[in-house]
Amino acid sequence: MYEIITPILLLSFLCAMIGSLAAITLPRVWTILTLIALMSAFGAGCFVLFTHTSWQWESSFSLSETPVFLQLDALSSFFLLLLAVVAIAGTIYARSYWPDSRYPHSSVQGRLWWNLMLTGMVLVLIASNGLYFLLGWELFAVSAFFLITLDSHNPQVRNAGWLYLAASHAGTIVLFAFFTTLAVHTGSWELGPVTHLPELKPLFWLALLGFGIKAGIFPLHIWLPSAHANAPSHVSALLSGVALKIGMYGIIRFSGWLPLPTLAGWVLAGAGCTSAVLGVAFALGQHDLKRLLAYHSVENIGIILMGLGFGIVALEHGLPYWGILALAGGLLHIWNHGLFKALLFFGAGAVLQTTKTREMSTLGGLWRCMPWTAGLFALGSLAICGLPPLNGFVSEWLIYSGLLTASTLVTPLSLGAATIAVLLSITSALALACFIKVCGVVFLGAPRSRQAENAKECDWNMRTAMLVLAGACVTIGLLPTLVWPVLMRVASTWSPSALPNIPPALISLGNAHLLLAVLGVVTVLGMLVFVRNKIHRAPTWDCGYVRPTPRMQYTAGSFAGIITAWFSSILRPVTYQLRPTTFFPVKATDISHTPETVLKYLIQPVGRVFIVLGDLATSFQHGRIQSYILYLFMALLVLVGAVTMVHLW
Amino acid sequence: MNDIFHLLIGLVVGLNLLALGTGRLPVLIQAVAGQGVLLGLLPLILKYPHWDWQITLLTLATIAGKGFFIPFLLNRAMRTANISREMEPFIGYIPSLLLGATATIMAVVVTRHLPLLPEHAGSFHVPAAIALILTGFILLIGRVKAISQVCGYLILENGIYLFGLLLLHSTPMLVEFAILLDIIVSVFVIGIIVNRIQRAFDSLDTRKLTTLHE
Repeated sequence: MYEIITPILLLSFLCAMIGSLAAITLPRVWTILTLIALMSAFGAGCFVLFTHTSWQWESSFSLSETPVFLQLDALSSFFLLLLAVVAIAGTIYARSYWPDSRYPHSSVQGRLWWNLMLTGMVLVLIASNGLYFLLGWELFAVSAFFLITLDSHNPQVRNAGWLYLAASHAGTIVLFAFFTTLAVHTGSWELGPVTHLPELKPLFWLALLGFGIKAGIFPLHIWLPSAHANAPSHVSALLSGVALKIGMYGIIRFSGWLPLPTLAGWVLAGAGCTSAVLGVAFALGQHDLKRLLAYHSVENIGIILMGLGFGIVALEHGLPYWGILALAGGLLHIWNHGLFKALLFFGAGAVLQTTKTREMSTLGGLWRCMPWTAGLFALGSLAICGLPPLNGFVSEWLIYSGLLTASTLVTPLSLGAATIAVLLSITSALALACFIKVCGVVFLGAPRSRQAENAKECDWNMRTAMLVLAGACVTIGLLPTLVWPVLMRVASTWSPSALPNIPPALISLGNAHLLLAVLGVVTVLGMLVFVRNKIHRAPTWDCGYVRPTPRMQYTAGSFAGIITAWFSSILRPVTYQLRPTTFFPVKATDISHTPETVLKYLIQPVGRVFIVLGDLATSFQHGRIQSYILYLFMALLVLVGAVTMVHLW
Repeated sequence: MNDIFHLLIGLVVGLNLLALGTGRLPVLIQAVAGQGVLLGLLPLILKYPHWDWQITLLTLATIAGKGFFIPFLLNRAMRTANISREMEPFIGYIPSLLLGATATIMAVVVTRHLPLLPEHAGSFHVPAAIALILTGFILLIGRVKAISQVCGYLILENGIYLFGLLLLHSTPMLVEFAILLDIIVSVFVIGIIVNRIQRAFDSLDTRKLTTLHE
């Protein structure tokens, strides 16, 4: 049955490789081949998910006596579908966003690394062998570095790239420790369920740390904001939409295969709560459009972890119905976040391309010049805020249902569930505030600068990419019952258990969404037809000011000022004010920004200690060979002494 | 035979002190050469009276290599590089001598506590080997000229060779020859490098070779 998948995946791989060759001189061929590769990967994923099979393939080719062993099961396919959809949209988008005409050198590199990164990620998803998993992981991590630093003339971009590379390698070191320990205990590189080895329980923390850095769990997210903000937007979309999810894939995969420590579920849920609340709080403090979106990735990873963590908690209780609901919500949010976050990054990229700035305080009023971008960005915002009738609501609703059902039980667990539910609702509320800020400041109001005034709508390639993703968001929102069987297939791969039927509430949710959508469309059409002619344009009420200018509008900082003040003990915003003290008008300044606090107050001080120690060590490095021999001699003496001590004991 | 063995060992250790105490390069090279000859004779004594062609060959090769060929290479390097015969030490001659004497005494003391085979425990074989290694280190650390450092390296290697003689009954001759060949090749290379350094920098003072330390 599943033999058909082998040629499909082979075709996909060949197209990706030939495509990366074509990327050098034939951009059009590259586009076509990459799209074919991604579509065949999509087809393979769909086949596995909908026909209840799983694909395995073992090659005779082997590296250090480890044969290549690939496996595509429901969990891998789940991520493969997301990867394919986002990458298809990204490939189309990149044609217009990073064209040869504007970036003659880096566009070639961009296409080449794009294919390599996709190949690496697919290899991670289908590798069933620790060695090849690590190979794919490194391929993906390194090509992501080159994609982030495409615009390498900009020092900010280079710094972001280095930070990403350092964080990524820190994660890889942990993963090396993880996979080698696993291989030592199981006796081979083969990956698979090892729940029968209880001594492997601590390994879960290693996996959580290694994959958590890639997934961007707070406080391991330090690389994420600057990398997402400075990468080209189609790369940001792929990073945020898919690359973070590959980290989540690792966590989900190994939480299913490893024996779990007692507290694993609660720790995951707790990390989820921290990521969600602090992620959105940091997002509120940002004035950089893409940096803000990057912090929302931290938040959404948090929401996914809430669902997953609570699902693991439920696993200890035999995975009752409420646990499955939370788990399904977490899984669905992986898809949803990948879709709407990529959509939002595409929108931000369209704005960035025409206005050349990510600074929200110099934008404004783009609604009039870029209706498509504004409309699609608004749709993405609705989805990410978890508002009906879009997909974000479906996944958050599933998590809520799980949590609230659990909190009605009379067990110690109910208190935890209720706490998580409250934190989730706080997160959603803050996210709503944040996206009202973004949409209000960027798209509504009056233009704050010349660039914003002269903005132009993006072309059809970019619009198509956004429409694909928006369509996916709307489909999941309106027809949530369609994805339920998929989620259950994935959940049963993760942990073999009974497949519950579609919850009746989900069916009614779907119907309600349809109704809401119909009502919404009817209302909008009605407004267009009946009310349009009765709208009068008039000057805005100017609060009694003599001559209002666009600079008197709410800025990104002032809009979120109150909420960021609540979190100021954690966010530590930096403000600089120059207040007028005389009666007559003089120059006044008010600057504020929220730095990456974990990086600035935790990682950098530790790093400075190491640099100071390193500087001290360089005084030993002076080039006098006599002293070097003395060092050797002393080291020998110390070793002999140590060995003697051990012997004497 | 044991007496002759100890006489040779005593001479070797004495040459150590000469190497540490001398201020002139030719004397240092002669000391190393003398050590080479004495050490070359040792296998004959250790194997007495079961001499065969292998042991004879090894003795001849060691004496030829360590006693004549290597010193010849060093002397030639010294002449062609046209360097001054004084050594300009980091650690002065008297302190070096004191250090060397201390090292020899420490070697004897330490050997008492080593878990040796009974046939090695009573002799000065092991302490002499340790003393040679330590002397080599003192020369390597305390001398400035590249050639005197080569001599330190050779004395260090002599110590290792002396250690290796403990295993004379079990080590194949091939291994001994290979080691000897290694040393000759490395000294050959060092001789050439010394020449090149002299041409490039107009000096063999290793203190001036610190610019490459990054």
